[in-house]
Amino acid sequence: MVISNPIYFIALPLLTAFLLPLIGKVYKPLIRLTPGFVFAFMAYISFDLFLNLEQGKAQIIQIAGWAPPLGINLVYDNFSGFITLIITTLAFIVWVYSYKFKKVGFDNSKKFFILMMLLVAGSIGVVLTGDIFNLFVFIEITAISSYGLTAFYKGRDGAEAAFKFLFIGALSSTLLLLGILILYTQTGTLNMAEIAIRLKDVPIATQAIILILFFVGFGIEAEMFPLNGWVPDAYSQAPGPVAASFAGMLAKAGIYGLVRIIYTIFDLNGIFGLLLIMGILTMIIAETAALKQKNIRRMLAYSSMGQMGLIMIAFALNTKAGIYAAIFLMFNHALIKTMLFLSAGFLTYSTKDKKISDLDGFGKIMPFTALIFGLGAFAIVGLPPFSGFWSKLSVLTAVADKTYYVILATILLISVVEIVYYFRIIGRLYFKKAHEEVKIHKPSWNAQVAMSVLAILIIVVGIYPDLITEYISNAADALFDKSAYIKEVLPNVSLN
Amino acid sequence: MKKLIVITLLLILGFYLMSTFISVPFGAERIAGVKDYYLKQSPETLKVSNVVTAIVVSFRGFDTLGEVTVLFLASTALGSILYRRRTHHSGLNPQREAVVSSTLVRTGAKVLFPMIILLGAYVFVHGHLTPGGGFQGGAIIATGFLLILISYRKFFINHNVLTWVEALAGTTFVLIGIGGFIFANQNNFLENFLPEGTLNNLISGGVVGIIYIAVGFKVGAEITGILDTLLTIKEAGLNPDEN
Repeated sequence: MVISNPIYFIALPLLTAFLLPLIGKVYKPLIRLTPGFVFAFMAYISFDLFLNLEQGKAQIIQIAGWAPPLGINLVYDNFSGFITLIITTLAFIVWVYSYKFKKVGFDNSKKFFILMMLLVAGSIGVVLTGDIFNLFVFIEITAISSYGLTAFYKGRDGAEAAFKFLFIGALSSTLLLLGILILYTQTGTLNMAEIAIRLKDVPIATQAIILILFFVGFGIEAEMFPLNGWVPDAYSQAPGPVAASFAGMLAKAGIYGLVRIIYTIFDLNGIFGLLLIMGILTMIIAETAALKQKNIRRMLAYSSMGQMGLIMIAFALNTKAGIYAAIFLMFNHALIKTMLFLSAGFLTYSTKDKKISDLDGFGKIMPFTALIFGLGAFAIVGLPPFSGFWSKLSVLTAVADKTYYVILATILLISVVEIVYYFRIIGRLYFKKAHEEVKIHKPSWNAQVAMSVLAILIIVVGIYPDLITEYISNAADALFDKSAYIKEVLPNVSLN
Repeated sequence: MKKLIVITLLLILGFYLMSTFISVPFGAERIAGVKDYYLKQSPETLKVSNVVTAIVVSFRGFDTLGEVTVLFLASTALGSILYRRRTHHSGLNPQREAVVSSTLVRTGAKVLFPMIILLGAYVFVHGHLTPGGGFQGGAIIATGFLLILISYRKFFINHNVLTWVEALAGTTFVLIGIGGFIFANQNNFLENFLPEGTLNNLISGGVVGIIYIAVGFKVGAEITGILDTLLTIKEAGLNPDEN
């Protein structure tokens, strides 16, 4: 028995979430400290596991001692390991940022950490599981904890956002369940690797129906147009660290589920065209909508959708270079968007409407937070020397390799739009005179540490991209090579 | 025009969904799935005579842990959404208290309540032997509390007790899982690490029975909590002087 086992990514946060109400009765500050220890431990084991994972190998974890396809199994391979690493690290950083969270009181901070714990557990479960029904269960866990977190600040707007999210999310779950149901009637198994083998005998029309059900179901969490109506409301109403984790975990889990199903289970080439079109639409509509926003959180939400659109485009290329670019984008988007949400949270802390126009001259008033936001803005639009540059470059080269020049031009054009609305804020921060009376809220030291760590990561990866490119390319291999996945999960089954 | 397009699209989608479902023959032996293995292994290896329970708690125990979590989340998130409208924790709602239920209902509830609880407990304790189990037993227990809540308007449920039951039951489930990881032969999460016992005995099936009892407690406490939260919300605007 070893300490580093992927099962802890799910067992530990669940255990902690169940125990938190009791822990709070024993000693109140433990409510805020325990999640930190758990997240730190999870981040540690995810580094340990990931760095010790051989390239092209996968660690299969059986649950309850039943070998796949009889029982449920977790698959820790280069791709799922990489995403798990991102999620656990972000979870810890978000905890460092939010652990003081005093103004909401004891009862609410208990709820916050329980829901946060389960959001992390659910997202990691979606990423790691090798069983399609288990995937659904974890999607449910992520979804319900997100509804609760969206409605965290009581009030009409929060409740409205949560209800919107709840209705769309319930639709998503229903479609997913229906898809799984049809899949089971056709193949008689729930193990993803075995389904991939048996789908060959299923009629194409049925496969297409199932895939479309999954496509819509996961599209909602992956913020795909036109299923992303919940995004601006949820991101702007939820607390800052929650919005950050939606961008960093929820959306990542959604897109992971979608591509895992498209690449590993199904073998339908038509879906890539659909994904490409949806990706382009998502990107264009979200980025142009972001241009018009007056509320900074809504703008970031639209920008987040736009980035997800770009990720979808990259995944839709169905080439190794495309997947590489998409995973790189996922990494950057998770880090940078988290940083932007965290810094925007403090910039607009004391303003009533969280308006962009309230931020005039904040570069002098809150130099550190404004600097962090500025760094994030530079990084996300893809300027060197930040990490966003390399991912954007790899997307562009991947698209160019496919000779989709119109799409190439669209992405470049949209990048200009992105630059306009981000630089508009930077212009206000640094080149406008401050309003007469501004109330500010200085970020606490722990929030400063959290934001600095993210900033350092972004700059270091920007200057030395080689630090992570190897891991990303291994992850891309793991997703692209379907037969290797099946072989790892079901070693005794011959593919022919 | 817009409606026409929507209806046409829905019809097309409906047609394809229908044709998929029609192609699934009912009850026929079509798929060589995992069912034969489950039917054979449940009594032989696990010593659990109720195959459904074996599937729910052992073969797909991880899903069950997830479902229990979903229920836990639902009760937590509901409390979080409805929190503001409850002014104090006793959960007494003046409008609800104003209505007094009849003596017949109250006497009936008093007689039925212990029996409902007993039935619920029986169902989840015998989950590995007879039809039913933790989820069903827990739901039965919650209906008992619902009956009491309806008949005795001033009765209120102590959320502290519910929290303890919920937390301890959930912890038991996960700890048994981790116990399998540490003590069982193959060191797998949720694997059985207790002696299996004899088939059809009350004490048999190793961890399966214990997990289902924990699930029973947890589900009972959670559904009761949800019902209580829903019943005791004050309708907004009813008491204007209360803000």
